[in-house]
Amino acid sequence: MKLSKKKGNPDIPTSSMADIAFLLIVFFMVTSVFSVTRGLEFQLPRQDTSAEQTAEEAVHIFIERSGANCSFTVDGTLMALDDINVYLQPKLARNPNKFVIIDPAPTAPYRCMVDVFDELKQGNVKNISIPTTAEKAAWGSVM
Amino acid sequence: MNLKVAKRAESYIPTASMADIAFLLIVFFMVTSTITVDRTAVELPTSLERVEVPKDAAVIAIDETGQVFFSNGEEDSRAISTQDLLPSAAFIMSKNSLKYFLIKADGNAEYRYIDQVMEQLRQAAVRNIAMLTQQEGVG
Repeated sequence: MKLSKKKGNPDIPTSSMADIAFLLIVFFMVTSVFSVTRGLEFQLPRQDTSAEQTAEEAVHIFIERSGANCSFTVDGTLMALDDINVYLQPKLARNPNKFVIIDPAPTAPYRCMVDVFDELKQGNVKNISIPTTAEKAAWGSVM
Repeated sequence: MNLKVAKRAESYIPTASMADIAFLLIVFFMVTSTITVDRTAVELPTSLERVEVPKDAAVIAIDETGQVFFSNGEEDSRAISTQDLLPSAAFIMSKNSLKYFLIKADGNAEYRYIDQVMEQLRQAAVRNIAMLTQQEGVG
């Protein structure tokens, strides 16, 4: 008796591999979230050099909540957000290192502080200071 | 004259390398993407001025109600009280004094929460801070 087996060509079915891989890509794309990696940089003062700057010669911006928006008081004058830079530019032209203090009220929304900070950055203000409540208490009532 | 019909070559699209291409894409995206450490849902404030911040920075998320979440940039963020922020930040600063701290706060959060966080960071001698924002005029 002759035993002859016809050998089939052995192969791994790879035609669906691409489908599987693309499915994985789509799955990861859909489930992944975009993380925000851009923002405003800000440097806190060093501990040892604190309280060197006198508050009198700095521009003082006070931010308060008023309804859904905010009101900005710059050196005692109520101002619109867009006018802050107009007010600051002549001062910066005289002294590019002019200090600007942002002083938001505790109840003011955070976004208003960011708006002012953004505005100052656009106006190329180099020295922006955001004192914390404890710092302000340490300075006394100069504000 | 006998016009022989030319033998048609069988047409097919080579799909054998398709899987290789797709897996290459997967690997590429896996390598280039960074894993998000913080998934707190916040409505970020908007700004025109934006700079790229380092990817391995510590993240402090503050939601609208003032709840603080903290991540050292490697582990997932966890809820933390403002007082506990100081030792955590100080520990990071002792290892890397140039570490960036990202403040990912909700735009509608009251400023006093951010003020408290800033105060803790100041006491921990943190220097570099970045406030995450969205592009103004988008979304």
